Parts: sequence; structure tokens; C-alpha cells
Amino acid sequence: MRVPASSVLFEQLALPLLPALYSHAFWLSRNHAEAEDIVQETIAKALRAFSSFQTGTNFKAWIFRILRNTFLTSRTGIAASRTVFLEDLADLLEVTDTNPSPEDHLLRLNNQAALTEALERLHPQLREVLLLCEVEELKYKEIAIVLDIPVGTVMSRISRARRTLYEDLRQQLGGSV
Amino acid sequence: MIQDHKHLSHDEASAFIDGELSASAALDLEQHLTTCHSCTMLIVSAMQLKAATARAYERVVAPPEALSRLAAQLRPDAAKRPARVSFGLWAWGALAASVILVASFIGWRQTRQSNNLAAELLDQHLAVLSSGAPPEVISSDRHTVKPWFQGRLPFSFNLPEVLPDGTTLNGGDLTYLHGQPAALLLFNIGKHRASVFLIQRSRNGSASVSSGSQSGFVIQYAKTQDLGITAVSDVNPSDLALLMSALVEAQSPR
Ligand SMILES: [Zn+2]
Repeated sequence: MRVPASSVLFEQLALPLLPALYSHAFWLSRNHAEAEDIVQETIAKALRAFSSFQTGTNFKAWIFRILRNTFLTSRTGIAASRTVFLEDLADLLEVTDTNPSPEDHLLRLNNQAALTEALERLHPQLREVLLLCEVEELKYKEIAIVLDIPVGTVMSRISRARRTLYEDLRQQLGGSV
Repeated sequence: MIQDHKHLSHDEASAFIDGELSASAALDLEQHLTTCHSCTMLIVSAMQLKAATARAYERVVAPPEALSRLAAQLRPDAAKRPARVSFGLWAWGALAASVILVASFIGWRQTRQSNNLAAELLDQHLAVLSSGAPPEVISSDRHTVKPWFQGRLPFSFNLPEVLPDGTTLNGGDLTYLHGQPAALLLFNIGKHRASVFLIQRSRNGSASVSSGSQSGFVIQYAKTQDLGITAVSDVNPSDLALLMSALVEAQSPR
């Protein structure tokens, strides 16, 4: 069994990530069949591009980026990208933060259903960044690689995602504790 | 609130709870928190929200058949390996949990070039973990496992009557090492998996035990009069050594 070292390395790097890639593809597409297609295409693209991958750099961020680009060119992804670009929504999303009293910050977060609803309503691009942060536990600079945006934008997008969730919860739950 | 410290922004609060602030910025922020109730509440609520989000958003578990197809796509040489078709979720759980595998792979590539047998062993150990296929004989009962190998191998071996605490036998499989038939025994040691290979050895030299550690994996070798025993695992070496000595012990003539 003689296979090129690079394909052996690729397999060794990619295999442990399959569950994460699948999960992320599912979260993006919301469809099991499509998730598998996306991961399959991601693997094919990543294999072809593997020679451009620098050993020692972050493989997970690299392959997640390929996954994301694959999603964007997929059926669901094209539909999703027709929605307004996030940065254009800045004003709408800006949370009316009129100096709340300290205790206003605390929400009843034991209401899982309310949180799930709020997550569902989250703008897909905000959901995406939260997933990379909370589920995949990527660092901001890795998320920046995946999304191809500056680290500062990652930070503000995550923060915006959280404020949006928080505002949604506050409205759903009728105020704070 | 101290005059020369402004309240933290939402971006800063987010970066802080994600561990993304520089050490000095985090220190400044912590100092501000000791005096500012409002910002402390902001951080507390952000941490609660983060934890709740992580609970609500869990990794979606892929159907085993989908993972199987995707894994097969990773290895164009799959046909040359022993066929392992079905996926067991137990192995994927173990794989997802073993971040150590990822960390150790790059180092492993160098190892495999310098040490063929160790590379072959580790490949097989990883193949078992990643394929998730149940072993040919699935049993924790040595009375089932041992006879299964009879007639399938040109040698015989004994299994210990009692395994070390926390160690269980999951089953066994036939395999080949350097073209020689071998028994592969699969154990769980706590939450770790261990693959143990038994192979016939020529009757020269004395019994001995040695061990090494490669790329985060422990590989331990033992020779008995008739057998070469090799164990591969990411478990702590002393736990693996207990299993090895139980196996060596079981081979000695009574
Ligand atoms: Zn403050």
C-alpha cells in the first residue's frame, strides 16, 4: 500500500473533522442530503487544493472555508446570499441600547424554547458566526479565515449576534428579571 | 466607576468572554469590573447567553451511513484495506472526543516514514477508530473471543481471566502485520481505546517488554515465548502497561 504522503496526511487531517464538517454543513443548509453533498464536494475540492495548504497552518479553518464557499455556491447557499448583505443591515440590527439599568442585563435564560426561537430568527450570517464560535469553538482569527473577513469584523459580528439574541429574548420574555 | 476607565463596549465584552482580549486588555477590563457593577452584569449576562447558546446549538450528528461514505471518499486506496463497511456510533463518539488525534497527526507523518511496523500498527488502530466497524467477533467474553480465532490463525494465545480495573474487551478481528496473520484485540481502557496485536514469533530470544510513545500514542511491545504482543493506544502508559502485563501473564504456561 504505497500512497503519496500528502494523501495520507490529508486523510489523517480530514477524517477526525468529518463529524464537524457534516454538522456545520447541516446547520448551513438545514438538510441532511444537502449536507452530505456539501461535505463530499468540500472533500473533493480540498483534496485538489491540498498542495496549497501549508502544513502547520490551521487545517480546520482552511477546510471550513472551503466548506463555506461550497455552501455558498450550492442551491440553498445561492438563495441565502440573495438576502441583503449583513453590513447593509447594520442600522436595522443596531440594538437600541439606551443605558439599561445593571439588572436589565440579566435575562431568564432557562427558557430554552425562547432561545431556540431567537436563534431561528437570527440572520443566517449572524447564526453562522455564532456556530463557528460556540459549536466549533474556533478562535476569532480562525473564523476570520473561514469567512474571509477581518478579525475586527468577526468580533463585531459575534457581538452583534449576541445583542440581537438578547434583544429578541427580552422582547419574547417581556423584560428582564 | 473610576473616571479614567470607560465602560466596556459590547464588542469588548464579547471578546472578553471568548478569551480573545490581549492579556493586558483583559487585565484592565478585570480591574474595571471590580469597581463597576453595571459592566459586571453585562459580562455575567453575556456569559450566560454564551453558555445557553452553546447548549441550544449542538453539533448535529451525521447519519452513520453518510459518515461512512464520506470517510471512504478520503481514502482512494480503501479497496486495499480490510473492508469495513458499517459504521458504529461508538467509534464516532470516541473519535469526536479524541482531539489528541488531530494534534498528533502531523508528527505522525514523520514517524511513519521512519518506522514501518509502528506506522502499520497505528494505521490499523486509527482505521478501527475511524471506520467504526464492529469487530468480526464482538464479545467481552474471552470464552467466545478466543475460540473464534482457532483455525483462523496458525498459533494460539490465551486471554487473561481477569482484566485490570476499568479495562474491557470489546472484541477481536483477524488482521495482517507485515504479511503475517495476526489477532487484533480491541479493548476499552476507561474512555480510551486500545488495539492489541498478537503475532507469532520465532522461538528465539527471551521474553521482554518495551514501550515507546509516538505522536501522542503509546505503543508498547512485549514478547513472550511464542508471541509478539503490541498495544497501541492514547491512554496513559501505566494503564496500558497493566493490560500488557495481564496479557503477558496469561501466556505463561501453567
Ligand atoms: Zn463599567
